[in-house]
Amino acid sequence: MTSGDLLLQQAINGLSLGSIYALLALGFTLVYGIMELINFSHFNVFMVGSMFAMLILQALGVVGQETVMSGVPLIAILVFTLAVTMLLCGALGVSIERFLLRPLRGIKGPAAMITTIGVSYVLFNLVLLTLGTDAKNFPNPLPPIVWQIGGATLRLREVLIWVIAILLMGGLTYFVQYTKIGRAMRATAQDPDAARMMGVEVDRVVMMSFFISSALAGASGMIFGLYYNLAKVDIGFAAGLRAFTAAVLGGIGNVPGAMIGGVIIGLVEAMSGQVVGTAWTDVVIFSLLVLVLVFRPAGLLGRLAPNKS
Amino acid sequence: MSGAVDFISKPFMAIPEDKRKALGLILVAIILLLFPLLHDNDADIDTAANALSYATLALGLNIVVGFAGLLDLGYAAFFAIGAYYYGIFTSFQVMPLWSGVWSPFAAIGLVEKINQGGPDLVHFTLSFWIALPTAALVSAFFGVLFGAPTLRLRGDYLAIVTLGFGEIVPIVARNLDSVTNGAAGLNGIQAPKLFGYNFGISAFPYYYVGLGLVALLIFVSIRLRDSRIGRAWMAIREDETAASAMGINLVRFKLMAFAIGAAFAGMTGVYFVAKLQTATPDMFSFNVSSMLLVMVVLGGMGSVWGVVVGALMLQLLQTWFLPQLSEWLHALGDVLGNDWLRTVDMVQWTQLLFGIILIFMMLFRREGLIPATRKVPALTFQAQHAEVTRGGFANLENIPRWQKEGGKGLEIRGVTVKFGGLVALNGIDLTVPEGGVVAVIGPNGSGKSTLFNVITGLVHSDAGSIKFNGVELLGLQPHQVLEHGVARTFQNIRLFPNLTVLENVLIGQHARLTTGPIGAVLHTPHNVAEEKAALDWVSNIIAMFSNRLAPRVAQAVGGLSYANRRRVEIARALASRPKILLLDEPTAGMNPAETLELAEQIKSLHTLGLTILIIEHKLDVVTKLADTVVVLDHGDKIAEGLPDEVRRNEQVLTAYLGRAARAAVMESANGN
Repeated sequence: MTSGDLLLQQAINGLSLGSIYALLALGFTLVYGIMELINFSHFNVFMVGSMFAMLILQALGVVGQETVMSGVPLIAILVFTLAVTMLLCGALGVSIERFLLRPLRGIKGPAAMITTIGVSYVLFNLVLLTLGTDAKNFPNPLPPIVWQIGGATLRLREVLIWVIAILLMGGLTYFVQYTKIGRAMRATAQDPDAARMMGVEVDRVVMMSFFISSALAGASGMIFGLYYNLAKVDIGFAAGLRAFTAAVLGGIGNVPGAMIGGVIIGLVEAMSGQVVGTAWTDVVIFSLLVLVLVFRPAGLLGRLAPNKS
Repeated sequence: MSGAVDFISKPFMAIPEDKRKALGLILVAIILLLFPLLHDNDADIDTAANALSYATLALGLNIVVGFAGLLDLGYAAFFAIGAYYYGIFTSFQVMPLWSGVWSPFAAIGLVEKINQGGPDLVHFTLSFWIALPTAALVSAFFGVLFGAPTLRLRGDYLAIVTLGFGEIVPIVARNLDSVTNGAAGLNGIQAPKLFGYNFGISAFPYYYVGLGLVALLIFVSIRLRDSRIGRAWMAIREDETAASAMGINLVRFKLMAFAIGAAFAGMTGVYFVAKLQTATPDMFSFNVSSMLLVMVVLGGMGSVWGVVVGALMLQLLQTWFLPQLSEWLHALGDVLGNDWLRTVDMVQWTQLLFGIILIFMMLFRREGLIPATRKVPALTFQAQHAEVTRGGFANLENIPRWQKEGGKGLEIRGVTVKFGGLVALNGIDLTVPEGGVVAVIGPNGSGKSTLFNVITGLVHSDAGSIKFNGVELLGLQPHQVLEHGVARTFQNIRLFPNLTVLENVLIGQHARLTTGPIGAVLHTPHNVAEEKAALDWVSNIIAMFSNRLAPRVAQAVGGLSYANRRRVEIARALASRPKILLLDEPTAGMNPAETLELAEQIKSLHTLGLTILIIEHKLDVVTKLADTVVVLDHGDKIAEGLPDEVRRNEQVLTAYLGRAARAAVMESANGN
């Protein structure tokens, strides 16, 4: 491959990774924007989403990489799996909020954040105890369609991941901008007290933000599985840290920022794997996080949620 | 049965409480000292020695998380740094070529010349006893290095940045093969020697080193907690803005917490690998950091004894209770013929239990098993009752008069503050002469509190100058402004809610004290004298509010009435021995009698010679107190003069009441 091809190939990889991170980053940003809470349980809701998708596909009869489908059945099975995974993860997120975080609302200090760390731990270990630590063969029914662009390869799964990510992000943008509850979410992010006095049901908004962010984490977990053909109990940590970096990079609380940040982080990961080796990728991503926080804490697009202190 | 309990407990309970505590402590110490002698089982002693190392780590994390309120999720990084520091300088991993440069080091025993066939090489042989304190320094240095770029961030970002640091250090250890031997880890780390006795691999001597380390770090933690430094950390934890306005240098004290916490971990790292004689990256993973967090949360954040108990309990859970429970379940499985019970390994559930402990502690017992602050019983109804006093402060005999130093007072010239497109203050001029009382009034949103914020360094000014006794205050940090003798209260009361009245007011003295961490731990004569003087001064201040605050000194301010919290805030500001006092609506929310009481008290401060700048809405208070009244409206100064002049000023009436109402007022005034 020429260096141009290599660059194109890494751009394709980067965009796919970026789609995964962007969907995950949206969840961090939505919850942080509304509650000023770094939701550590998000790391492992993502992982659980990947497991849900795997179990659903297996239940539908898709076996590892052997079952190949096409046409309407393929689309139907993917849409169904995506929808059920998102619903299950959304329900998981809502229960975490309702039963474990709502009692702590209004309490100053790190109590809520520590709770989300605890939840993350519980999710991780529940999956560990039931499904084990080994990497699982994530069922992938996509036909092995490949396009050659110069020396670079574009696989059908990458196009699919982009399509899913774009549709979900478009849907979220419409939802936040043009629906009544979306407007209520934006208002709550600006000033929860004022929003409450204007008749916004803050409890409902918070619950909605947890539902959406967890559902997006589920979708992200599913496309992670389709991309790597694997599901593993420890995928949440690395992906979560990257997605959080993406959210900060784009400006935490800022929905378009999270999308752009996710894509940038995906590209950075792909390129840095090429340049300094994958062993150091975590170090590169994390240094980027520190640099952004030190020099541009508001992120590229600026944070939309004001400091509530 | 109850007779036996009585037989033991009765004489024990008869001992006075403070002695009972000391006695209990001595008993525990004796048991811990005798344990390895009585229980001759190397595996159990080894487990106990490991538990002690987790206790020291928990004590270190408690400084950062419990005292200073900085959520550090990567604390194991400092543990790793101490461990690798000792590992690299005592193993055969890094061996440069021998040359004459090394001879002096060889002479003092830090290195030795070895030959493994080929050229002569340097083998580092750092003594354990030198490594222990130097590892503390090395880790503290890394604590500052990691902390410096991130401590200006809000607390929740700090959590994720430390999480990243905690992840990176093992990655570096894994990938720098030549120095750390990669994932396989360092081997052949030298065991400590003492007077020719080699500690070797038996757990027995390590147990006592660990015990000594725990005792030392408990001592250091308690000394720091009860010093100026501990108070500063807790103030930062409770309210950063108020802490910095009371003279606490936020960056300095946060870094100090990070450095001291890291030093504890570094020492523990040395101890841990000296005992294991190996160091691998996996020993310092996120799981260690989070287990330490669980220990601190379980025991009680900020509670020294609590975190030690938390650490020991979790170690006991992992190494004794869960394996034991598994055996019981296996036996039960045999009886019931249940295969799952027969094979279940509860030790694998450890981490799950950690997560559940975190969640349950947050939901049901956030202060931990042994809370840092003991609850003080509420005052009786009689003790709560306080008569409104008249005539200002009574107990002033111990309060020296403010001496006139011939300074120029507070001079504000052309100060402008903009928030985005909004001009909050527009070229304000204002002078408070030494010994004077100036009141600032104006409708809501006129820029009064912004004026205070810009004077005290909380808000950045776009233009102008603010001088106090000739010193430019603009551009100074809030704690520096206080050091120059400018103290303030806040409109929306910013106290340290979980600290007592006494602690809150003592924090006002912070900037006037100079003890550093070493002085605080050693109780140097300077430190002792300084603390005594501070306590005397603060007692005098509290005595001024005798009927209100004196009965409540040991109560947490979070539970006080609104008016009493206002009084604590004024007391805290006075504790800093200010030259000028900035009061932001001190009587807001007080009833008329309390308002009158406080107004007269402020008046008596004035007669003592204190310079005062006050924001106030109640015009009777303003008239009673102020020499000069300044009126702000929409960021402009629209009037300045004697209280009565300002009251009749047309612009002022328009600003306050609107045009129509002003016309009515003027008409009725003319009619008279």
